[in-house]
Amino acid sequence: MDPSVHLDDEHAVFINSTVNSVYELINAIPGSHLVLSYVKNAYQDDPFRIILELFLVFFALKYMLSKKYKPQDNAVKLTEKEIDDLVEEWKPEPLVPPLSSFDKLNLEKAPLIIGAQSVKPKVAGHAKPLMNLASTNYLELQASERIRQKAIDTLKVYGVGSCGPPGFYGTIDVHMDLERDIAQFLGTEEAIIYAQGFSTISSVIPAFSKRGDLLVVDDGVSFSVQKGVQISRSNVRYFKHNDMQDLERVLDDIRVDDMHKRKLTRRFIVTEGLSANFGDIAPLAKLIELKRKFKYRLILDESQSIGVLGARGAGLTDLFNIDAKEVDMIVGSMSNALCASGGFCAGNTQIVDHQRLSGSAYCFSASIPAMLAVSASEALKYIQEKPQILCDLADRSRSFRQVLSHKSLENLIELSGSDVYSPSPFFHIRVNPAFLRSRGRDDISREDEERLLQDVVDECSAQGVLITRAKYVYDQERKCPRPSIKIYVTIGLTKKENDKAAGVVKSAIVKVFGKWKK
Amino acid sequence: MSSIREQKAHQTLDQSSMPNFNSSWVNYKGAWFTTLFIIVLLKTLFSVIPFISSEASWTLTNLTFNVGQYIMFHWVQGIPFENHQGAYDGLTLWEQIDGGVQFTATRKFFTAVPIALFLLSTHYTHYNLVLLVINFAPLLWVLVAKLPVMHRVRVFGINKIDHVVD
Repeated sequence: MDPSVHLDDEHAVFINSTVNSVYELINAIPGSHLVLSYVKNAYQDDPFRIILELFLVFFALKYMLSKKYKPQDNAVKLTEKEIDDLVEEWKPEPLVPPLSSFDKLNLEKAPLIIGAQSVKPKVAGHAKPLMNLASTNYLELQASERIRQKAIDTLKVYGVGSCGPPGFYGTIDVHMDLERDIAQFLGTEEAIIYAQGFSTISSVIPAFSKRGDLLVVDDGVSFSVQKGVQISRSNVRYFKHNDMQDLERVLDDIRVDDMHKRKLTRRFIVTEGLSANFGDIAPLAKLIELKRKFKYRLILDESQSIGVLGARGAGLTDLFNIDAKEVDMIVGSMSNALCASGGFCAGNTQIVDHQRLSGSAYCFSASIPAMLAVSASEALKYIQEKPQILCDLADRSRSFRQVLSHKSLENLIELSGSDVYSPSPFFHIRVNPAFLRSRGRDDISREDEERLLQDVVDECSAQGVLITRAKYVYDQERKCPRPSIKIYVTIGLTKKENDKAAGVVKSAIVKVFGKWKK
Repeated sequence: MSSIREQKAHQTLDQSSMPNFNSSWVNYKGAWFTTLFIIVLLKTLFSVIPFISSEASWTLTNLTFNVGQYIMFHWVQGIPFENHQGAYDGLTLWEQIDGGVQFTATRKFFTAVPIALFLLSTHYTHYNLVLLVINFAPLLWVLVAKLPVMHRVRVFGINKIDHVVD
């Protein structure tokens, strides 16, 4: 026989027996005959379909065998060695970062008031009391004996704290009285009280405006409003500070964008009545007209203007003689002119009721102590009884501004809230950019400007007047305003003292600016 | 300022802070079993109706299952209960699973099921060409929707996600 044939035979027998045993093995697996019959059935003389099915099977296999990954994940992948190296070289950062020279300046120049806050406090480092133009004690309610006595009586009845959030046994009858008083004072349906002035507006905005809603915000708003806008996660558009034409342009742009989308979202215009950073008053009549025309709601932050503007002291709506019900939400702070503490939001019943469960600072913060609520109520009563103090305040403020608008200071400073007849009780003094250019290289840094203003403040303190620079959280402000001295006028000083203080500030400015960087 | 940093944080910060209860149930093995059970139920339902032939009932099962799966996983957006401040507002259930990580076990399972169902139904319809096409179209639709390439993609502006302005 041929050896190759003999080999073939052996091969054939071997292959046959292998296949048989494999076949028996496969048959032993339960359910295999189904798979086999499926595969046998599958080829039905249709190659395209087979290709399709095979393609599907391969796709499925590829999918099953792919590794997990997260799309848009920019995490850097390091090797073990790199990780070890990084761990070796790591030095912990100090718990407290070293202070910059500017921080040190701020810390050492912060005045220390010994004893109670008052219109003539005793300040550490000065022998005589200074005249206090650095606190929002506009109506001198801080020293009111009547309010103090009421607060002491309330303390004796209710104790100090309220021991709970308003929704959970923290609401006392005096809180409800204060809410009623505020609503009545402003002319709205209802009001709700928050424990802290700063967190009021930053709770009200996110309570109503959520992700996907639209906020049109004045770009010069103060820090608390910016935080509220940020927390809300809404879509935000800014318009130039108190510029109604720009506001109209922004609202028009939004309307044009929306023509084909027709999304139904909540829309709000957010602005401050009396701007904390610039001292000017928002044109409320035009705001209301625009709000009606474009169908937005208006959130008005009256933290600075409550108790100060208007014939009765009820803020912008009083000043412009507009019905307070036209403004959807009036948010204010009782810690400024009313010399109490906390904040409020006034509006109609639905708006106020919604905040009882949705206002973060209302639900998750203790309510204000009874004595502060009573102080605020008393302050409101006092203002209602004696509205002439508002005229006195406007007078003081006007005469102060007149002194500072004197020609000799024109090249040196700019007054913000510059209208001499403006009823605003505070204003900012900013360095005239022309002066800066004339004195230095063009690159006067912010710190240099602040130091110049701090020198003015020091000079005034030496002469018996306590004023302050405006302070900001520099790395979190969206558009930090220029450095300034913020002067708060108060009726606690008599007319003569007020004029004397104005004179001191003026001469300090002339003297310090004259000596600077000569 | 820190606005760029804040913007990036704002895109990612909220979303994985709490388990997303709208989408975490698909990871349970019970849900997988229920999917298979629903398929069996659908087939039984269609078989019980006397006027439908066996091939038609398989096709109908395949069709119903794929259409239902598409609506549930790839059409409806957002979360029915208010949560996460609207971080998931424009996301379908498929995009919400496992926080957007692709090729996880759940996604593999839910991709395999329509494929397996298609293979079975073409087998039981005796590989008729017309029925094949009818079966294949929804499968293709559903498979394309599940591709990682299509994550957060909206074709022709249908079902578009709201974008942040400014």
